[in-house]
Amino acid sequence: MSCTVRIASPLHSYTAGASRVAGRGATLAEVLGDLERRFPGIRFRMIDEQDRIRPHMRLFINTEEARDLSAPVRGGDTVHVICALSGG
Amino acid sequence: MTLTAAERARYQRHLSLREIGAAGQEKLKAARVLIVGAGGLGSPAALYLAAAGCGTLGLVDFDRVDVSNLQRQVLFDTAGLEQPKAEAGRARLAALNPEIRVIAHALELKAANVRAVLADYDLVIDGSDRLSTRYLVNDACVLLGRPLISAAIHRFEGQLMTYVPGRGPCYRCLFPQAADGVVANCAEAGVLGVLPGVLGTLEATEAIKLITGVGTPLIGRLLTYDALELRFQEFRVERRRDCAVCGDAPTITEPRDPPRPAAQAPADGVRRLTARALEALLSPPQQAPPLIDVREPWEFDTSHLAGALNIPLGQLPQRLAEIPRGGAPVFICRSGGRSMRACQLALAAGVASPANLEGGMLGWAAEVDPTIPVA
Repeated sequence: MSCTVRIASPLHSYTAGASRVAGRGATLAEVLGDLERRFPGIRFRMIDEQDRIRPHMRLFINTEEARDLSAPVRGGDTVHVICALSGG
Repeated sequence: MTLTAAERARYQRHLSLREIGAAGQEKLKAARVLIVGAGGLGSPAALYLAAAGCGTLGLVDFDRVDVSNLQRQVLFDTAGLEQPKAEAGRARLAALNPEIRVIAHALELKAANVRAVLADYDLVIDGSDRLSTRYLVNDACVLLGRPLISAAIHRFEGQLMTYVPGRGPCYRCLFPQAADGVVANCAEAGVLGVLPGVLGTLEATEAIKLITGVGTPLIGRLLTYDALELRFQEFRVERRRDCAVCGDAPTITEPRDPPRPAAQAPADGVRRLTARALEALLSPPQQAPPLIDVREPWEFDTSHLAGALNIPLGQLPQRLAEIPRGGAPVFICRSGGRSMRACQLALAAGVASPANLEGGMLGWAAEVDPTIPVA
């Protein structure tokens, strides 16, 4: 199952500057696992040691928020990784 | 509040809009809006709200105008360098529209003063550059029942949402918790100058809509903006029943200051070095400790201490193996905050006796080498 993942600006250092990368997996957990294999360290910036989404990160599948990693991802979906920004 | 002849002349384009008209303009005249942060976001928001005839505008900022602000903070000009932002902004807005009242609050919002400052305003716009201020303002707005329009920016991206207590989620529903230092700010990461122009103008738009009651506010909808792709996106955000401030059983019932920054907090096992103490350790060079500079590469490129290794804080968890073992490394950043977090990460990963350069490169420039440029 392939999808598109849009990466928050503060995490672009992991994706060589790319704001949009391809992902693969049938659940959010699988998609993030796939990202981690290609961009080591990126998952830990979003997910803590207890597999919870970090409180300054939000993950959306298309326009709906995903609150846990079991959320299903369908082919053609876009996973959005949103991060709290502090700049003003 | 009736409009004077001068006001009718000034706002005639608004009066021509059926959706605003005299009734909407009178609401704008009666409105009292507080803008937190006279920076990249606050500048366009303040200018447009002043021009639009928002009757009372408050500007909160305790900083002074720096030359590096002028790339995006259009409220200020070169002649105003070094002036307090709140006062320079007040003067600019008063010159733009003498019909309105502008109040300068040259102070730092804290738990102790936030209620008193917000008490005289009906609506708040957040354009601050610290997460701790964002949470303080959000919590105060929820507790006082004030609508809050909040935007934030980073490099080429921005976010915007409108929070109206009782009508949707609050900022903590969106991001329950975040500490300063987790995300780089504009000074560390850079920002496209025109980006806050877009987001700050959208904040002013939302304020005018809420005040006049026209349109559909951005409640429960997170708007994101990617300037590089020129793409806006919208995401649905629900109120959290377990939200610490607006949830069913809130644990935050009074505004509170964040825990002290890591740089000042006691941290067992982290040594603290003043710039002078580090200078002494660097001689002779053969016995100097490893220096790990955790700033962003562009900051590092502007200047760094000889022999320093650059590992940006965001990459440190993955690059801990690059820290030489056995040498009690010294972590360095711009002012000492990021490097203290780096020390704590290193300590947790088993690095022995990490040290923090207190005051960072700014401290080094102040105490040891005033010729060194610090980005």
